[in-house]
Amino acid sequence: MGDVLSGLATGFGVALMPFNLMLVLLGCFAGTLIGALPGLGPINGVAILLPIAYGLGFPPESALILLAGIYYGAEYGGRISSILLNVPGDSGAVMTTLDGHPMALNGEAGRALSLSAVASFVGGTIAVVLMSLFGPLLAQFAVTFSPANYVALMVFAFASLASLVGKSTVKTLLGALIGLMLATIGIDSNTGVARYTFGLPDILAGIDFLIVVVGLFGMAELLHLVEQQVTGKLKTLPVDKSFVRWADLAKTKWTILRCSLIGFFIGVLPGTGASVASAVAYGTEKRMAGAEGQRTFGTGDVRGLAAPEAANNAAAGGAMVPMLTLGIPGSGTTAILLGALLMFNIQPGPLMFAQRPEIAWGLIASMYIGNVALLVINLPLVGLFARMLTIPQHYLTPLIAILAFVGIYSIVGNPFDLFMITWLGIFGWFLRKLDFSLAPVILGFVLGGLFENNLRRALSISGGDWYILIDNWKSLLLYGLALLVVVLPIWMGRRARNMAEGDA
Amino acid sequence: MADRIFAGLLLLVTLAYGFIAFTIIKAPFQYDPLGPESWPQILSVVAVLCILGILWKPDTEHLHVAGRTWFRLGAMVVLLFAYAELYEPLGFIVSTILFGAIVARMLGAAWLRAGLFGLCAGVLGWVLCVEILDLNLPDAELLAKPYSNTEGTN
Repeated sequence: MGDVLSGLATGFGVALMPFNLMLVLLGCFAGTLIGALPGLGPINGVAILLPIAYGLGFPPESALILLAGIYYGAEYGGRISSILLNVPGDSGAVMTTLDGHPMALNGEAGRALSLSAVASFVGGTIAVVLMSLFGPLLAQFAVTFSPANYVALMVFAFASLASLVGKSTVKTLLGALIGLMLATIGIDSNTGVARYTFGLPDILAGIDFLIVVVGLFGMAELLHLVEQQVTGKLKTLPVDKSFVRWADLAKTKWTILRCSLIGFFIGVLPGTGASVASAVAYGTEKRMAGAEGQRTFGTGDVRGLAAPEAANNAAAGGAMVPMLTLGIPGSGTTAILLGALLMFNIQPGPLMFAQRPEIAWGLIASMYIGNVALLVINLPLVGLFARMLTIPQHYLTPLIAILAFVGIYSIVGNPFDLFMITWLGIFGWFLRKLDFSLAPVILGFVLGGLFENNLRRALSISGGDWYILIDNWKSLLLYGLALLVVVLPIWMGRRARNMAEGDA
Repeated sequence: MADRIFAGLLLLVTLAYGFIAFTIIKAPFQYDPLGPESWPQILSVVAVLCILGILWKPDTEHLHVAGRTWFRLGAMVVLLFAYAELYEPLGFIVSTILFGAIVARMLGAAWLRAGLFGLCAGVLGWVLCVEILDLNLPDAELLAKPYSNTEGTN
């Protein structure tokens, strides 16, 4: 406990420096704007702005605080387009449309927006508090991990990814493999042998992380927007003067609390982020509301709005835990933040709390501040953010391309990279069209080097004996969890189907 | 069908990837039990299994993209490549004005507004990114300063 308090003191010392405080506010504001744009979710926002934040030459903790603010703000802003437009900014905000949009249709847009802001705030704050309590403990435990344990941890991460993310397990797994394969391009750091470079000097050092991120997310998103353009005009509902009432808060307080906890723990699971958390939270609340809930959920029930919002913001915080303590990101967006840390030559993981406390704790403290700031920004300024929804797509689309080009070119000034992001964008667009989710690809790409190096290190320790991978209880526990996370959803799905058949 | 075509192409790429892993990559000497080729070998085998799974049971039949949309997407990609190609020769300002105006026009803005948007994006973008944020962007090699040193790579 004393560690946590002194850590937090360090953290607030960093986060409250005027420059960093300004970046938190700026990041939250920009993030909310990006999140509010229809179709641009947190992951695309962070992806497009990452190279620019890197190019500004800030110290690592400041750049990270800025990016985390954007990430956080975008999770917050996503609800605006969900409620007013019925268009979720990303998969995490899908559940918000179910009850949020009906409320807006009933002329209660202001009430829906303010209630969801409060729910998001509570979810986010609970997650940060839990994170500052459990993060250091997990880090202390993770210090004892051997390379073989890390291999098991990766297997667990990819297993939970494959089973919980996306529509098809095989496609998610293949997505992660594509990421892992992309990560093998370049010179092998152990032996100096060039792999898959085909003599191109531009990729000798591997494909730059930023290029993969901007290509797969920014540029693929751009093509997606161009494709959607033809499908007609979106109609924004007006924000009225109605506001959240005490009765709403009293009615939803347990919902918000429960869903924050659900969201946090699902967010902690490696590979699963806000989308799974909000779906599970919504389902749980609907079931708990009983027969009356079956009728009102989906028609503008305040609980149905509060549940996914609390959960997805709690998950956004939860996803930071494995990223900071184990070096294994909990979601696609945190994978990007992890990559950002690596670019600053900081290896996230158990030692980060001891070696770079100003970064680990500074980030956590900035999330406390960010949460408060977002609530304060969001309640009065929601009308301004809502106006963002009316920005015509024909200006937004070229703007994304220009930002992406500026960001990528400003890293090393190599025009070859501009072609790379375009090609990767086309590839990413096809993946999206075929129902592959892109988060596994980026997770695979970020973890590729770590996975391979730990496997090779483990086998070097054992002298080539593969038995080392399973001769330790920690590894066995992780493999057991991996098996559980794959088998459990299948088993539960089958049971649900059997019960449904039994009813009929 | 769309799934099968894509999976088929991926299979070809993966087989080539695996072929390189199993035959070409080799360290001249090494002390570790796993060399640079082992990891790609494992990946290629697992990936081939996944692809065969998709070929066996595809779930996406069509892409549901109309002919006109294909045309629009194609035009967008061509414009992106052109933007990338001209980024250094024309410099940031001119290429961005052209790109912004043409894309905005293509996506439905009126000529005048599209042109204005391009102009704003190019000029304000330059002021913001280069003058204020001090990022490294290309100035016009061909147009303005043929002798200035634009190799800002470091």
